[in-house]
Amino acid sequence: MKLLSQLRRAAAAAALLALSAVPARAQRLLIPMDDGQTDQLKAYGLTYNAMKGGLQAEWLLNYRGGSFLLPDVPALRRQASLDGIAVEPVSDQQLTALRRELAGGNMESVPLEKAPRIAVYSPPDAAPWDDAVTLALKYAGIEFTPIYDDEVERGDLSKYDWIHLHHEDFTGQFNKFQLGYRDAPWFRELVAKSAASAKRLGFASVPGLKKDVAEHIRAFVERGGFLFAMCGATETLELAIAGHDVDIAGEFADGSPMDLDADARMNWKRALAFKDAHLEHSPFVNSMSDIDGHQVNVPGRRQPLGTFTLFNFSAKFDPVPSMLVQNHRSVINDFYGVTTSFTKATLKPGDVVLATEEGAPWVKYIHGDYGKGTWTYLGGHDPEDPQHAVGNPPTDLSLHKSSPGYRLILNNVLFPAAKKKPLKT
Amino acid sequence: MLRALDLEASGKFREAAPIFRAALRATPTAGALLGLERVYAELHMSDSLLPPLDSLIARRPREPLYRSVKLRTLQILRRDDQLRAAFEQWTRDLPRDPAPYREYARVLIQLGRPAAADSIVQRGRAALGSARDLQYETAQLRAAMGQWTASATAWRAALATAPHLANAAAYALAPTPNATRDSVRVALSAPPAEPGARRGLAELELLWGRPQAAWEAMRALPADTASATVWEEFGERAMEDERYALARDALRAALNARRTPALAVRAATAAARAGTPQDVFVIAPLSEVEGDPARAARDYVPVHVDALAALGRAADADALVRRYDRWLAPGQRMRLAQLVATAWVRAGDLGRARAALASVGPDADSSEAAGWLALYEGRLGAARVLLRAARDPSPDLALALGIVSRTRGDSAPELGAGFLALARRDSAAAAATFVAAAAQHPEVASALLLAASRLHSARGDAAGAIALWGRIVAESPDSPEAAEGELEWARALRRRGDRAGAAAHLEHLILSAPRSALLPQARRELELVRGAVPPGS
Repeated sequence: MKLLSQLRRAAAAAALLALSAVPARAQRLLIPMDDGQTDQLKAYGLTYNAMKGGLQAEWLLNYRGGSFLLPDVPALRRQASLDGIAVEPVSDQQLTALRRELAGGNMESVPLEKAPRIAVYSPPDAAPWDDAVTLALKYAGIEFTPIYDDEVERGDLSKYDWIHLHHEDFTGQFNKFQLGYRDAPWFRELVAKSAASAKRLGFASVPGLKKDVAEHIRAFVERGGFLFAMCGATETLELAIAGHDVDIAGEFADGSPMDLDADARMNWKRALAFKDAHLEHSPFVNSMSDIDGHQVNVPGRRQPLGTFTLFNFSAKFDPVPSMLVQNHRSVINDFYGVTTSFTKATLKPGDVVLATEEGAPWVKYIHGDYGKGTWTYLGGHDPEDPQHAVGNPPTDLSLHKSSPGYRLILNNVLFPAAKKKPLKT
Repeated sequence: MLRALDLEASGKFREAAPIFRAALRATPTAGALLGLERVYAELHMSDSLLPPLDSLIARRPREPLYRSVKLRTLQILRRDDQLRAAFEQWTRDLPRDPAPYREYARVLIQLGRPAAADSIVQRGRAALGSARDLQYETAQLRAAMGQWTASATAWRAALATAPHLANAAAYALAPTPNATRDSVRVALSAPPAEPGARRGLAELELLWGRPQAAWEAMRALPADTASATVWEEFGERAMEDERYALARDALRAALNARRTPALAVRAATAAARAGTPQDVFVIAPLSEVEGDPARAARDYVPVHVDALAALGRAADADALVRRYDRWLAPGQRMRLAQLVATAWVRAGDLGRARAALASVGPDADSSEAAGWLALYEGRLGAARVLLRAARDPSPDLALALGIVSRTRGDSAPELGAGFLALARRDSAAAAATFVAAAAQHPEVASALLLAASRLHSARGDAAGAIALWGRIVAESPDSPEAAEGELEWARALRRRGDRAGAAAHLEHLILSAPRSALLPQARRELELVRGAVPPGS
């Protein structure tokens, strides 16, 4: 036990070497993000936690896969060693040469100033392994706070800079899973808990509650918040916002059928990303609308998976979309989700397309501004589980340390920390 | 044709094509047609296959191969309209034939259009009055659509007439989510137990990592000769996978249905390796080969002596070898003498062990068994030479070589006593002796302490093991055993629920031994301790 106490003292001493310590040498640590990196995903956690500890980081857009530059302090070296993250010391002379190289190409250095406060909208009893973003945050060692309907309804969104939504159905129809899982214990429990929540919070039905939650999220973005959504949350959030004054839920969800003229009454001006989508009126078809291009749960409409290509933006003129697509791969295998992709016909004109499948009528990854805030949508459920089905085992990210799909998720976590420049193109 | 096949095999597709074409014109065999299909595909000239195919179909409209190849070719060429037309023409020409529905549905499944395939199967069902001939396609497309229970039901029906598709069924159903697997099991295991469905279920359970459940699926088959064949195959696979208890059970079941001496010996061997040597005497009794002593000596005696040695019945093993000595081949005699010597070692009689080896002549002095005896007697010089030449890479050998190769000097009786206690399965005495020997041999102290710690750990004595790991890390921090010991220490703490303690040791290991080969394992453990990856993954 003597050794253990020595070890604990050593760990405490290391903790005292706070991240805000003065750099030991006039050097920096380059965290390469190309194929020379041994754990791309944990590198995001190192950078995030450096910022959280008060250190300033730089994101070197388009330089070696979107590398990071951090101060060379012992605590960071220690963490990098523990996590198996490749780091390269950079002297002042090397740094000068590096900056010269950045200036000469489609590259840019973006200062990262303050770690965003992160919230993930997810049910209180959900395991972190049920959502690709919480999987990535857990693996990278980035702290987040799970919030759900109670917290949103009492106004807690204002405590956070960044919120993530995943497979929540904001139309309140439980992703229409009643078609295949009506008698499954987990589904029955989900319905019962949601109904109890709605009642407790003063709503007549689950669709009513979810629409109000969607409205809070819309207002959060409008006020300057950062929203990142994946999977079915992308599509259903938009439907709930545009259908604020319309009954868009089937009878099984709220006791009344969908309004017959629901399509015509949708107010797309309120929506963040989409326009003129058509609702799926049949309660027996497992689809919400024609926003999703792949329609994975509708046998006759299901489209095969292909690959999607990240758009190459100008790092100097379009730093925000550039940050969102930093990667060591530009072509990535597609993956299904309740909503897998976004049909081009339903995109608003101002949407920035970040990734698209060549020749397909849909896109994969989009971004835009709304009020003072921004939103980013990535279709699909889990980049490393392309066929994900209910009940599948969770993805173990230690087997996917260089996952390009998961990098897209983590780009979104870091980009709110950037000292932004205006979009010029 | 042979010339064409040779040219194709050497990649000369352009030269092979005219020969296949000529052969097809002369005698339209399947070999010529398929050869031409392959080389045209390699040359990206699949469209050139269509004219000869149309001629062949006109000449022999009932031949399904020509029609299937035509569908495949049109699929490759992505001529969807012509593909559909070819299928329609086939159904018009042969309205009662299930083949067009089957082949076209398969093509559509491969194209990722399960819904379209489903409509073709439904059409076939209506046209033929039954889905009996389309069960395989139904099963495949239900799986493609994620309808796992319906797929399993269709597979059940398909496997009744085509049990050779058991592997295909397992691979198709393998992606079934956890929540639905039980209903798949129910569909495949519903009575009556049929060989195809049971084999499919067994393969599926193996893919899902449940070998015991795989055997349970197979065990329910009726005990007849057909089942015996299936059980024997299963048992042999289990032997290859070193799952000896499963192998024993499966081979024993096969033996009960179809008794042969060879099968009895295999089942007995599995029982010995499964750690149940007493079963050997029941599974393969010597009495059943009494009339054929040569066969008994060749096949039965080795496994019996092995079992007796494992049970420490050295005198019985010795007597058995003597009884069959005249029928033993020289090589076999040596092997059995080594087993008898091992039995005497287990009985604690090194003198008789040496005598058993000496009885087969001077060659025994250079055997692995002689190396072990030298080690037990503390003669390290001889042990080093003889054990290095050993062919059986067992964990015990790796431990012994790791220690004797690092120990200075040629004599170490206390070390030998430790290994002798280990051979006699007295792990408490072995651990204590290794710890005592560590003080006398500082050059190998960390290895001896690690060996002792593992013995403590295997006996469930976590406190004893932890004390030794602590000594290794503190006294020999630069030794390879320090990283090994600290990793095992951390794992033990994690098992006890002390996550903070485990994390502290893992962090210490990673930072203090950055070049250790154990770093990936240490990082993996650290991720589990921190909850950074799903538990149990």
